Amino acid sequence: MLRKEQNDLLTQTGPGTPLGRLFRSYWIPALLTEELPENDCPPVRVKLLSERLIAFRDTKGRLGLMDEFCAHRGISLWFGRNEECGLRCPYHGWKYDVTGECVDIPSEPEDSRFARKVKLTSYPLVERGGVLWTYMGPAGKQPALPEWEFATVPPAQSYMSKRLQECNWLQAMEGGIDSSHVSFLHRGDINSDPLFKGARGNQYNLGDLRPVFEVVESPGGLYIGARRNAERGNYYWRITQWVMPSFTMIAPRGGHSVHGHFWIPIDDENCWTWNFDYHPTRPLTDAEVAAMRAGKGIHAKIIPGTFRPVANKDNDYLMDREAQRAGRTYSGIEGFAMQDQSLQESMGPIVDRTKETLVPTDSGIIMARQRLLRAARALVEQDIVPPGVDPVHQRVRSASVVLPPDQPYKDGAREALIAHPGVAPATV
Amino acid sequence: MSSAAEARFRLASPASCARVVAVVALDPACDDVLARLAEKSWGGVRFFPASAAAERAVLDEVAAGDLVVMVASAGADASAAGLIGRACSDRRVHTATFVIRAASVSDEVLSNTLSQVRPWSLMVVIASEDDYVEDILRSFR
Repeated sequence: MLRKEQNDLLTQTGPGTPLGRLFRSYWIPALLTEELPENDCPPVRVKLLSERLIAFRDTKGRLGLMDEFCAHRGISLWFGRNEECGLRCPYHGWKYDVTGECVDIPSEPEDSRFARKVKLTSYPLVERGGVLWTYMGPAGKQPALPEWEFATVPPAQSYMSKRLQECNWLQAMEGGIDSSHVSFLHRGDINSDPLFKGARGNQYNLGDLRPVFEVVESPGGLYIGARRNAERGNYYWRITQWVMPSFTMIAPRGGHSVHGHFWIPIDDENCWTWNFDYHPTRPLTDAEVAAMRAGKGIHAKIIPGTFRPVANKDNDYLMDREAQRAGRTYSGIEGFAMQDQSLQESMGPIVDRTKETLVPTDSGIIMARQRLLRAARALVEQDIVPPGVDPVHQRVRSASVVLPPDQPYKDGAREALIAHPGVAPATV
Repeated sequence: MSSAAEARFRLASPASCARVVAVVALDPACDDVLARLAEKSWGGVRFFPASAAAERAVLDEVAAGDLVVMVASAGADASAAGLIGRACSDRRVHTATFVIRAASVSDEVLSNTLSQVRPWSLMVVIASEDDYVEDILRSFR
């Protein structure tokens, strides 16, 4: 459990909050590249960290992310005309470039300098690995560009999706740290989902419902090792990476692609769940990409034209009691993604952590919260750059390995936990 | 629906009562950590320094406990984990072990400690700061 003030601190990420300042230390995913597919395409409304923004790609392909509302009368620039290297408000024609500078006020005299005094708050927006990333912190402290491996491999080796999750970011992310739920909630899908089935490790998962956990501090966050029994007295380890503030990487299964998430606050009661799948050494197959697009694996079926899942809280996530009774799904909900999301949203928009009853298998979650609290305090009080900002902390991989019983996983999987370009992942 | 609106009709009564937790130092270097913790306000948590007498006291305590937390210094002798862990295993009491690792401690030295605590721990946390012990204990209450 947490005290109320700790829960508030960890769940509030708007401007001026300690966790808001922490999130504003990082490059975070803002949009899929495909949301701004071409020059002068329609602008896109983006809400991040409780700030309402507008994103657009100008006539020369430059990317902009700025305050959604015109400085003049507060019109949403989503109605704007994206033309001739700027976004023009349709109400009175005020025009802004990608940096938020006002470049034209038609009602002013021709040589007026007034437009130069008008500037909307803007943030950098850069393209990397099929994602448009933004940094919303102080300009002088902008870190190096993100180096996550999924964003640096050739495009054919990587697939990214996102979905709206209607709850606070932290309870969503904590699901990514908690691998003890896999043997229960996802047991119906491990051996049938095309992006998971067939791995030898699946049988260890299903055969040992009481994994033993080891949580170890890593440079950027935590390694969370789940140990299950394997043959001949050996242990099967699944090692999850958590990198601050909200990156998790799930241990791989057999020859399948590797996957994980970012959880990015939209506001305090909604977040984006970003889902990446990639393979470090080979292109994804057509069948794999088709399965990802169809909402298999960690992805979800989305209502066309939105990022809201087809199964959502308004339709009880398409609960199938017969599938639950027959054991085809453990919770009655179809697919890994919505199995997680349905339960996390059921906790309420912001779960009250003063009422929870944690057990030792939740130690990864507890440690993650404490690392976040410490990092936020160090940043606010001493201006210390938090873990996870350094690109070295981002060059990580999860791993699944079978090790002798006396070998610490951090030793046995030392190189497997680092992203070495062109080297195959350690997976069982 | 806002968080407050959604929570409005949730039941307010507690769904669990306080657990009985024994916290035991596996080596003398951890006694200071436990002494500092013991000065604070705790309900249902008892602290045992590293000594043979304390080990016996823990064994008595285990029968009535819900959880035993062992605290070890990376590199120190943690063989007491065997005695305590076996008693917990016999009585089906959950065990968690916290290993405090100073920056100067090598992986090899850490491995020695891990090999002593692992067979008897259902959860192991390895961290650089002993403050985390308090954080984890508070989270379990």
